[in-house]
Amino acid sequence: MSTDYSIEAPSIHGRLSLAEIEELVAQPLDTKPDKKFFIAITLSTGALLIGAFCLTITFLYGIGMWGNNQPVGWGFGITNFVFWVGIGHAGTLISAILFLLRQRWRTGIARFSEAMTIFAVMCAGIFPVIHTGRPWLAGYLLPYPNQHGLWINFTSPIIWDVFAVSVYLSVSLIFWYTGLIPDFAILRDRTTSKIKKTIYSIFSLGWRHSNRHWQHYEKAYVILAGFATPLVLSVHTIVSFDFAVSILPGWHTTIFPPYFVAGAIFSGFAMVVTVLVIVRKIFDLQNIITMDHLEKMNKVILATGMMVGYAYATEFFIAWYSGVQFEQFVFINRVFGPYAWAYWIMVSCNVIIPQLFWVKKIRRSIPIMMVIVILVNVGMWFERFVIVVTSLHRDFLPSSWGMFIPTVYDLGILLGSFGLFFTLVILFTKTLPVVSISEVKAIAEGSQPTHHGGNHHG
Amino acid sequence: MAEKKIFGITALFKDPDSIISAAKKTSLSGYTKWDVNTPYPIHGMDNAMNIKPSKLGFVTLICGLSGTTIALLLMWWTMSVDYPMVIGGKPFFSLPAFIPVTFELTVILATASTVAIMFAFFFGLPENSHPLHDTDYMKKVSRDHYGVVIEADDPKFNETVVKDFLKSLNPVSIDVIYYPEKETYPIFEPKFLGVLAATAIIVSLGTYLTLNSLMYIEPFNWMMNQDKIIPQSKSEYFADERGMRMPVEGTVARGFIPYPYLGELIPTEVLLNPSISTKAILELGERKFLTYCSPCHGDFGDGDSRLRGQFQNPPTLHSDRARNFSDGMIYHIMTNGQNIMPSYSSQVSREERWAIVNYIRVLQRAKNANEHDVEFAKNINIE
Amino acid sequence: MTEINLTYNKKELPTRYTRLGVLLLAIGLVFGIVAFITDQNRAVFNYLIAYSFMISIGLGSLFLIALEYIVGAVWSVPIRRIVEFFAATIPFLAILVIPLLFNMHELFHWSHEEAVAGDEILEGKAPYLNVPFFIIRVFVLIGIWSLFYFFFIRNSKKQDTTKDQNLTKLNIKLSAVFIPVFAISITITAIDWLMSIEPHWFSTIFGVYFFSGTVIASLAAVTLATVLLKENGYLHPSITNDHLYSLGGLMFAFINFWAYIAFSQFMLIWYADLPEESFWFLQKWNGNWAVFSILLIIIHFVVPYAALLAHPAKKNPKRLKFIAVWLLFAHLFDLFWLVMPESNQLSEGYSFSWIDLVFPIAIVGVLMLIFKMKAKKENLLPIGDPKLKRGLEFHL
Repeated sequence: MSTDYSIEAPSIHGRLSLAEIEELVAQPLDTKPDKKFFIAITLSTGALLIGAFCLTITFLYGIGMWGNNQPVGWGFGITNFVFWVGIGHAGTLISAILFLLRQRWRTGIARFSEAMTIFAVMCAGIFPVIHTGRPWLAGYLLPYPNQHGLWINFTSPIIWDVFAVSVYLSVSLIFWYTGLIPDFAILRDRTTSKIKKTIYSIFSLGWRHSNRHWQHYEKAYVILAGFATPLVLSVHTIVSFDFAVSILPGWHTTIFPPYFVAGAIFSGFAMVVTVLVIVRKIFDLQNIITMDHLEKMNKVILATGMMVGYAYATEFFIAWYSGVQFEQFVFINRVFGPYAWAYWIMVSCNVIIPQLFWVKKIRRSIPIMMVIVILVNVGMWFERFVIVVTSLHRDFLPSSWGMFIPTVYDLGILLGSFGLFFTLVILFTKTLPVVSISEVKAIAEGSQPTHHGGNHHG
Repeated sequence: MAEKKIFGITALFKDPDSIISAAKKTSLSGYTKWDVNTPYPIHGMDNAMNIKPSKLGFVTLICGLSGTTIALLLMWWTMSVDYPMVIGGKPFFSLPAFIPVTFELTVILATASTVAIMFAFFFGLPENSHPLHDTDYMKKVSRDHYGVVIEADDPKFNETVVKDFLKSLNPVSIDVIYYPEKETYPIFEPKFLGVLAATAIIVSLGTYLTLNSLMYIEPFNWMMNQDKIIPQSKSEYFADERGMRMPVEGTVARGFIPYPYLGELIPTEVLLNPSISTKAILELGERKFLTYCSPCHGDFGDGDSRLRGQFQNPPTLHSDRARNFSDGMIYHIMTNGQNIMPSYSSQVSREERWAIVNYIRVLQRAKNANEHDVEFAKNINIE
Repeated sequence: MTEINLTYNKKELPTRYTRLGVLLLAIGLVFGIVAFITDQNRAVFNYLIAYSFMISIGLGSLFLIALEYIVGAVWSVPIRRIVEFFAATIPFLAILVIPLLFNMHELFHWSHEEAVAGDEILEGKAPYLNVPFFIIRVFVLIGIWSLFYFFFIRNSKKQDTTKDQNLTKLNIKLSAVFIPVFAISITITAIDWLMSIEPHWFSTIFGVYFFSGTVIASLAAVTLATVLLKENGYLHPSITNDHLYSLGGLMFAFINFWAYIAFSQFMLIWYADLPEESFWFLQKWNGNWAVFSILLIIIHFVVPYAALLAHPAKKNPKRLKFIAVWLLFAHLFDLFWLVMPESNQLSEGYSFSWIDLVFPIAIVGVLMLIFKMKAKKENLLPIGDPKLKRGLEFHL
């Protein structure tokens, strides 16, 4: 088959009219949830409840219920935190970076991935707080002097985390909500239910689709995207600083910031593909979230997967090149030590398996794609596990060596975080438009003047 | 009922090309209070409407720069002025470590205030009582139509002229939008007052309970309350009901040699200086003297206190009496205290006290040097 | 809307460019030889900077070509030839590298066997850092790049006459292969030429650091050439300020990227303060090198950032011209900052020498001659590219 490069491929298939787009996207909000919905929400809340139970037990009896020990003080808590923050990176990447790069295919998936960002960051935010063991003292993380007049330590990467994650959550929410306002107005004007209308009116802020507003609105969107882009890089960079500013071999390495960001995009895209494949099927959005979009996302997964592979290779090479005995030991221990299985899961899922995406047929095959992206998620979770556990479990002194074995509570809380994430995702699909109606309308065929740009200023 | 007031006249169009040309014509015809409503932003509309580029960027710039400034000032003040602490051997103001927080605060201030200011001041939102709301026009532009509205506030507004003008643009339909009837707000209705009162009661009760009961619940206190007697607490077990017990008679604490001459005036003859005036001992003595003795006795033992009369100044250590004290006597004074000088036995260890004695001897000799000493000092090679 | 005129009339660049190029190269050559005779050490270090700069321009441009194909960008198609002309530097690297290979002992501490013998760390690195393997790496990499360059350009040139869409497809596939190869090879290049002049130091991010500077340099070169050619009417009239905006935006993005990478590298080493790493930065804080370190932040980040921040600035040809020259200088300055403090002669601080000025002059001359030579032989517009029309129609 051949592609014609001289014409632009349409971002939306099926030649949908504006009204059809609106009906298609708004339909889940107008219909009563069906049986499948209840099954899904039962499963996810079930997982959430298991997590809540394990967390309650943890609060009652303390962190000792987890597998954390000396020397592995950062067990599942930090692994899960980094994992979820990573998942949260795809949304802003799609909505901000691809927006700045004028990638029109982002419109179909931007809203959904932004929502996933917010939910993933919420999941992530739980872990450092519970990992401290005394979450009710989390107020001390705010820049407010305690009773001794002592301030928080602004030079501590843990405080950077507090700022980075909370700012990221706030900016993602602002970004998401700003994008939702025109859609709320659309929903307001099409609903017949009085209660819904009141709710939508409040959230739409009385948006009137005025072009005098659109003008500033679009500018604001560019500004938000311009800030969200470095922000999304900064968040995982700062998470990587948690590790890299230490002097621990395996953590202290300068490539960590870009490597973590690439990994975050990698895992985030994998998660977005995982969920989108299901959503587009259930809500019949194949024309808006097209196979081309999925293929492009798979290409991004392939590219970021190779970046991660590049980082693994560089780390390895420089560990040898550095001549530092400790560095060399950590990496040999990763590959052949007691956690070698975790390392090989990580390498095969993150670097080797995504190479299948070189094949166009695989990039465009839903079942194979699904398997690969789920494996990528597994691999990326194990990457964080490998970083946290293998670097810690062999301390500088062999007398302080130890092993980390997760308990059932560790696993329960991890399961619970997935439960929380999917519960929020499922609720989102039924309460808000999963695709930005106004943005998709704007890129539909015939939705823009035929001669646009002909007399552009500048 | 008075006649309804006109808000403006609207015209609807079906495709983007015609709305662009309609906007161009409206803009050229000199109306100022008019607007275009489209379900999504249309390329080239700003030019067609002839509106100036958005000035929103300046808001962002100012808010972002204030975020940067606030962050840096906050960290500079807390970390290097209000409570300076050495952390990791880094300077108090260590800029590289402040960059992350500075960046985050810049971003949050720039974005949040840009969006807030845009909605509140640029748009005047939220505004759900606008006359255009709930009209057929609004419902259509929300969906798949494109509309022009010319408002009655426009100085050139004339109902028939505007209608004719809009007709000339070949719209799908033309509507006149009226202001909705003024709503009345029944503030003094008993129902509303009741809700108000109930809210007040619930809020005060909630506040009271939160502040007086909830705040005093100790969560997870099992490690704080343990079955043991803590210092100063009462115990029913002992006859005198004191939790703290006296040690058995004759008990000596580890590392503590009792000083037998406490309270005595002149115990001196038995105390002999066990240390030799080596350089290390003298330096230790000097350090300890400067720390513990010099505040009252002065840096050179002249009795020139730095305490500006908070206490009575002690006599000089260079008097004949003091110079004739035996080493043991000086040691005794430090250990036992004398007049208003308290005992220093808990702050300064035995070895250190003897080192101070040696140092005082050095001071005394230096301050009262005779010719012999001067000759001697000339001969030794001072680096 | 009038249809875009796709007919293209080839215009020759005036010969004064050649004359100027020859003049600059001659000055560089003559004084360069004098420099090698009078102060070999300083000349070699300066030559290394110039050589790395040439790698940046050539390899960075090749990367930009591959990037255009792989992301399917259309705006850059009408100016792709300019990028290709700069990429033509690559085969010349094989000649340009020779003076360095003859002076390896001046440059590389690890090339002295007696120095390695007593040093445990250098002995450990010897399997990688040894003269034969080094030379093999250098030529294999230049060979690989030249091969990619050759295929990219051949397909692109062939398309001018055949207008065959399959050639675009072929180049897309080539790009997909090239980019991983590029990532690995630029890392090796950065380690070999720039990191190993201080053989005890190591940093995993170093390859990325060099990459960020490389892209800035090549983007700046392309922007400068585009603006100059456009001003003098050599480019298609449909190449507007919107095209320039994309270049400006990319430069702005990569300035930030460079700052991000540079900051990450510095921050982590500064914070952990491990002696085996921090000595490298302390060396760059020695004496008046501290001034250079501060200036690097200002020259390479603060000034271009402020100059390109505003939306109109990114499409203002005058501003872009200025900032492109500025960024080319900034990259040279960056390389200077990386290389020069490692020279034994200047480890205590910088002192001026005329030699520092010679090689940059030669670089400008060489680049001008290569550009002129390619422009003479080839069209300035890839007239056969299927995306060309869309590229010319590009608007923000």
